Amino acid sequence: MQVKYSYLDQQFAEIEAYFRDLRKLVASGEFTLGPFVEAFERKFAAYIGVKHAIGTNTGTGALILSLKAVGVQPGSEVITVANTFIATVGAIVAAGARPVFVDCDERYQIDVTKIESAITPKTAAILPVHWAGCPPEMDKILEIADRRGIPVVEDACPAVGAKINGRFAGTFGKVSAFSMHPLKPLNVWGDGGIIVTDDDRAAEFLRLYHNHGLVDRDHVEIWGVNDRLQPFQAVVGSRVLDTVESLVEARIRNARLLDDGLKGLEFWIRPPHRPAGYREVYQLYLVTATRRDALVKFLIEHGVEAKVHYPIPIHLQNAARNLGYKRGDFPICERQADDIVTLPAHQHITKEQIDYTVSIIQEFYR
Amino acid sequence: MPSYTVPYSALATEASLVKTELVRAVENVLDSGRYILGPEVAAFESEFAKYCQTKFAAGISNGTSALHLVLRGIGLDDGDEVITVPNSFVASASSIALAGAKPVFVDICDDGNMDPQRLEDAITKRTRAIVPVHLTGRPAKMTDILEIARRRNLFVLEDAAQAVGASLDGKRVGSWGDAACFSLHPLKNLHAFGDGGMVTSQDQDLMARLAKARNHGLANREQCDFWSFNSRLDEMQAAMLRVQLRHLDAWTETRRSLALRYNDLLRPYVAVPEEGPGERCVFQTYVVKADRRDELRQYLNERGVEALIHYATPIHLQPAAKGLGYSASDFPETMRHVGKIMSLPLYPTLTHTQQDRVIEIISSFYRKN
Repeated sequence: MQVKYSYLDQQFAEIEAYFRDLRKLVASGEFTLGPFVEAFERKFAAYIGVKHAIGTNTGTGALILSLKAVGVQPGSEVITVANTFIATVGAIVAAGARPVFVDCDERYQIDVTKIESAITPKTAAILPVHWAGCPPEMDKILEIADRRGIPVVEDACPAVGAKINGRFAGTFGKVSAFSMHPLKPLNVWGDGGIIVTDDDRAAEFLRLYHNHGLVDRDHVEIWGVNDRLQPFQAVVGSRVLDTVESLVEARIRNARLLDDGLKGLEFWIRPPHRPAGYREVYQLYLVTATRRDALVKFLIEHGVEAKVHYPIPIHLQNAARNLGYKRGDFPICERQADDIVTLPAHQHITKEQIDYTVSIIQEFYR
Repeated sequence: MPSYTVPYSALATEASLVKTELVRAVENVLDSGRYILGPEVAAFESEFAKYCQTKFAAGISNGTSALHLVLRGIGLDDGDEVITVPNSFVASASSIALAGAKPVFVDICDDGNMDPQRLEDAITKRTRAIVPVHLTGRPAKMTDILEIARRRNLFVLEDAAQAVGASLDGKRVGSWGDAACFSLHPLKNLHAFGDGGMVTSQDQDLMARLAKARNHGLANREQCDFWSFNSRLDEMQAAMLRVQLRHLDAWTETRRSLALRYNDLLRPYVAVPEEGPGERCVFQTYVVKADRRDELRQYLNERGVEALIHYATPIHLQPAAKGLGYSASDFPETMRHVGKIMSLPLYPTLTHTQQDRVIEIISSFYRKN
């Protein structure tokens, strides 16, 4: 049996409805910003429950712009984790700031007890990541940030649809960034990102900056960038957004089946603690496994496309050399890099495929 | 919005000509399930490189990011200077500022592009690069610019955003400098259905670095060599661009014949964009210089012809440029130019009837007044 990691060919098997929408776009000739992007932005803002949504070209772009919108600049420091996709940290550097890492907890999320000691007078933002589509302890992060007067930017890139006690990821920070990369819960046919905020001034800055600083066709207020969401992708994203709640529910169902299937194997392989009130969207279904590399190899040999996100923590990447970190600085993050594995648990996985995955894992440890 | 009998662009009509091919290209990507840096981007890159007579090409998310990434790649320090023209789209200068250097402007010649005579005076000890712009699809004076750049050991980045297919002395733009950037924005001659950009170069090391720079600095899925951005060309756009590229030569020929027809018929009334010696222009914008320009533009617009100005405010006078310390008297040729330029509708699907209407309105304006 094959258990594939990607599901895009299945998700977009029925494309007539998308093509109908795209025909309208092509007939309008509105290929740069315009009504299709605006409609999608309004729809996304309504879904998350925020005042403003601004589409961007990528999730990385969304992060860079969000940091700039809260005042991060050259000389600033931004606090985040070292177990995330490289773009979280790349965005901090792109905004001119220095990344400051704190370790993660056993849920793979930022360890809120370590944030306070990482704050310095230069700290311009805290950038918690909803890693793997699971919210970190936002209430505690906000408590620290508010007390110290530091803005929070949520890296909600993997987490469209995630919630804490009914409140959506992206509504906690001053500004929040989402990715719509093909392997995210809300996905488009290429790169795409979106920023949300309730702050009018941040929104005004973002609208200006993401389109060359243009106030109108002829006037440039600030040096800006081109970081626009493509109308083509806005059209696709809009239709996927109609289905995102059911996609997320299907992922949650499959993740629970896999959690259940792994019961009895706790000695070798363990899902993280899943506290009540946290709605995870399982952009990655992560577990901690004994003899990880051998397990991954065994799974792949048996048709189960397991992956590792990621084997090298960011503070140990070549790019991080001049930040002055070393192995041992973030022990939990480093241990997880050695023992986490990502199992396929997306919305198109069947009960049979989950049972099969579990049986292969059982066979491996037997 | 007013409805024009001769609108400035006709993207929907153009797309309808190749719709079947475009849909097939999109379907192929959907069937493959590969949306990021897949076979379509790779194929488009090699086809584009061949088209531009260069060894390498790399797909980037848009023309601005292309400029930004190449400039960052040459390692600019605070206080370094990069020379470009004030008569361009803002991205020519903002990409310099965003890459950490100071944009320094030189004035233009009568043809709207960088004046090589004035270039040497703008070079200082801090100058690191020159960004000549092939504005409107007309090649800049690359032979003279390169001669100066080589002598002064400066990096040359062609801003070919508007000029795919243009050539000077038979050599295509994009193959002259150390690197070149193209925009594939919907209003460009070769365009995506959204944003897109390209970099071309003969320099393998530069391109190897750029391949990482557009993709988070990643050498592979797991190893990050330097901090960078996500500035990838979409696979979906690349698939559609491959369709567009197959038609580009035919469309450029149509564009050129329409432009030369405009030239012949408008010459009595306005200064038309004549091709200089050795130049093959691709007329991404068709720009005339007219007396009483604002009145004429209004006259055209009122009669259903959508005329625009590219660009009404030169970059050195934008609020964003305040910190650079320029004033209105700094670039007299640019200022003269800006007061007279007007862009007329020109695209492959423009009909002779539409074109005649434009010409008739312009001639009646000058006859009556």
